[in-house]
Amino acid sequence: MSEPAVTGLAVTGLTVRFAGLTALDGVGFTVAPGSVHALIGPNGAGKSTCFNVLSGVYRATEGGVRFGGTELTGLPPHRIAGLGVARTFQNLALSRHLSVEDNLMLGRHRLTRAGFASAGLRLPLARREDRAHRARVRDIARYVGVDEHLNAPAGSLPYGVQKRIELARALAMEPRLLLLDEPVAGMNGAERRRMAEVIARAREDLNLSVLLVEHDMGMVMRLADEVTVLDFGRRIAGGTPSEVQRDPAVLRAYLGAAHAPVGTDGTDGTGGTTGPDDTRGTRDIKDTAEETA
Amino acid sequence: MSDRRWLLPAAAAAATALLLVLPFYLGTFWLQTGLFAMSAAIGAIGLNLLTGATGQLSMGHAFFLAVGAYGYVYLASDSGPHLSGLGLPTPLAFLGAIVLAGVAGGLFSPIAGRLRGTYLGIASLALIFIGQHVLFNAESVTGGFNGRDVPPLELFGLRFDDSPELVVLNVPLGALERLWFLGVALLVPAVWIARGVLRGRPGRALNTIRDHEVAASVMGVPVARYRAGVFTLSSMYAGAAGALLALVFRRTVPDYFGMFLSLDYLAMIVIGGLGTAAGAVAGAVFVSVLPQLLTRFGDDLPLVAAPGSGGVSPAEAARILYGAAVVAVVLFLPGGLAGLWTRLRATASRHRSARPLTRLEQEEQPV
Repeated sequence: MSEPAVTGLAVTGLTVRFAGLTALDGVGFTVAPGSVHALIGPNGAGKSTCFNVLSGVYRATEGGVRFGGTELTGLPPHRIAGLGVARTFQNLALSRHLSVEDNLMLGRHRLTRAGFASAGLRLPLARREDRAHRARVRDIARYVGVDEHLNAPAGSLPYGVQKRIELARALAMEPRLLLLDEPVAGMNGAERRRMAEVIARAREDLNLSVLLVEHDMGMVMRLADEVTVLDFGRRIAGGTPSEVQRDPAVLRAYLGAAHAPVGTDGTDGTGGTTGPDDTRGTRDIKDTAEETA
Repeated sequence: MSDRRWLLPAAAAAATALLLVLPFYLGTFWLQTGLFAMSAAIGAIGLNLLTGATGQLSMGHAFFLAVGAYGYVYLASDSGPHLSGLGLPTPLAFLGAIVLAGVAGGLFSPIAGRLRGTYLGIASLALIFIGQHVLFNAESVTGGFNGRDVPPLELFGLRFDDSPELVVLNVPLGALERLWFLGVALLVPAVWIARGVLRGRPGRALNTIRDHEVAASVMGVPVARYRAGVFTLSSMYAGAAGALLALVFRRTVPDYFGMFLSLDYLAMIVIGGLGTAAGAVAGAVFVSVLPQLLTRFGDDLPLVAAPGSGGVSPAEAARILYGAAVVAVVLFLPGGLAGLWTRLRATASRHRSARPLTRLEQEEQPV
């Protein structure tokens, strides 16, 4: 098991079409090994579609995704997981009735071997494996701060805790690349801060590459080394957080054409960003101010 | 919690001991009823692995029971003028019947792996009709409409039959008593293996496939392979149940393995509780004992008449009753009989020790 040294993610010319609707249009970016890369954009920009392609849930129409020397497009989800790509979900995707510990143990699936026969007959292999991985899972639960809930059914816990359990489950996979789909959506300020701390710490300690989709700009600015901005399935900007914040195309996408600096041409299609998206964008930018203050 | 960990193995041992003592006291009627219940329990555990734990509906369970029952008869019988058979030693034939049912499940598993939930239910319905057609028409193997005699099992020189008399502690042990011990010897490992599967790595994968298929696959679970695997395992359980049932009936008839049997099994796991071995056993006992009770005590009950006399027959009355039971469980008892037990236990422990209030973390305190 010699793991390739370069475990960066390279997305090139990624296009996804659903029956005529182009959800992603030639998107490309790279996540440097050990860095946090944020993927932002208004609702419907194609961020979640991108995640679903990266984790193998959707098939790419065109383009490629390379991770540590392996082409991911065309692999089924469980093979991608086997390469060390873990993800969380925007909406909770835990087993409600299983205990938190068992939910986390599912994260160990790719690292364990017991099948129907060895688990059913409780062969020594299965018992030993179970004991060792439960110990590790408890460590991870402590690390993320959900260890007091280990025996509770996951569905009985508050939303914020369940979000953290999702992160813990992804970390239980011992991933090399972590895909986080809106990890702090719907959380209050304290919960957000705490989540950001855990993510930053995990990245340091475990030497992870992280791809982050997030609407909370404070979180993005604090965590990300690099940002890619999507709008209507296209990559409209990229760079360091501070560069992106000043980018006229980004302002236009978030705030509407009226806010774009004078002198740029207003006919390049992004003028269509009207309606609820605008207010949403405005609020997000305001959040930024509060969060970073 | 942890200081009472011995409780469960102790209870299991006590229950097994009780099961082993019962045939010394029970009469023919109760022995037969109990054997039906044990066979049904084994089959229901299999269906619960598939439907309860994985969320894959199967209407074809009766087909795999038939494969087990007829498989045993075919493998164990000697070839005659009209009927063919392999004449294998009977224990080998019994194992062969389980393997055969597993192979049948495996052959269907490319479909079982790809179809989700109710779609699999519809596809597996086809198995019933194919099964019935084969059972009625492949006469040299199945005996057609009249079915076939089941050769009694012979294990380590012990015949599971009435003929060589066997008296233990002044109690003559006939075929039913002996089969009872066989039933216990099959049921206990069936429960034990199912619990191991459900609480181990495969069980977590199966439960997550049921709860959130996409999450399971991105966590590294090959969903189709697990669905195919659990389908095969579940048909092996059905095969064992079918072979045991054949030994109890002493004759296999094709009519028995129809759609109603599949529905009975679904009723068992819903009433007993989805997703656990204990639930399957509880439901199997309920569903298979009820018609027997109504037949036996039907004379004393209003509205239940002897079969053929025009009123509601005991079998029909039983169907109506557990149809009502299914509705009642779905409405009032999510988790079934097994869930009721857990709830009672939770209430009891709450009475013992008042639960301390969960403290909010400091930053979760309302401002």
